Amino acid sequence: MIMIAPTSELTPDQLARFIHGLGYEITIKETCYGANIEGDKELIGKIVPEVRKLDPNRIFIKVRAYPIGDERRCRAHHGSRPGFNQMEKEWKDLPFIEAGLCAAEGGEECPEKPPRRKLSVEKLMQIAEEDNR
Amino acid sequence: MKIFIMPPNSLILYDLVERFGHQPLSIMAELRDRVTEREMESPPLNVTLKDVTKGLKYAGIEVPSGVRGRMAVWGPLVDEAEAAIIMHNTPFTFGCVGCHRTNLLLMHRIRKKKIPTLEVEYPEDEEEGKIMVTKIKAFLEGLK
Repeated sequence: MIMIAPTSELTPDQLARFIHGLGYEITIKETCYGANIEGDKELIGKIVPEVRKLDPNRIFIKVRAYPIGDERRCRAHHGSRPGFNQMEKEWKDLPFIEAGLCAAEGGEECPEKPPRRKLSVEKLMQIAEEDNR
Repeated sequence: MKIFIMPPNSLILYDLVERFGHQPLSIMAELRDRVTEREMESPPLNVTLKDVTKGLKYAGIEVPSGVRGRMAVWGPLVDEAEAAIIMHNTPFTFGCVGCHRTNLLLMHRIRKKKIPTLEVEYPEDEEEGKIMVTKIKAFLEGLK
């Protein structure tokens, strides 16, 4: 499953055409979020790095359990899509990961935020007294 | 190295692990074998009776069958794992990955196994995204 981040200028159509253009004997399905590809493991292993090169920090790839067009999942056959909400949420948040990848590439140091401190009793009492005035 | 990711179906973690040169252990790959190679009795359910029995290795008989069923799929992945990345507070932990008890049991097994483990928070903005990705990159590069 190839997913294009919302910040990318690449379209699923361009992506699908590019993969077709590579000329490998695999199945490609253009989707609203990118494309699904299926075929021999070795071929997929060759294609994935090529696809990433198109937009390295804005293309995300994972394995999908169900085959392309599987009746249990395919919308054309009214299949259930239990993973949709997760994919939608992760897709929306891909720009954060993109920022992270750019930072990691540039060697930017990202110090962790200090954990939130609990409100002390004294401070709480002070707030309460201020409110009462 | 084989890295167990949690949530085990996360696109973000799967991609990052593969991108930084390791093999992610995910439920998608595990279930792919089941839904393509085996004839499932009831198509939307990806766990067979045999799997539930297998789950007894990870959860006792008194534990709900849903937990055992999930552990039958995820447990062997943890056994296989050489390292793990746990992402906390993921807003999408419902559905197949939404069983909190299974997630707790899974985290317990990972910690008990004493493999190198990285625990990160799900990013809510770009700054948190940067922190998460740099931490994961440093962790994965350190494993080589």
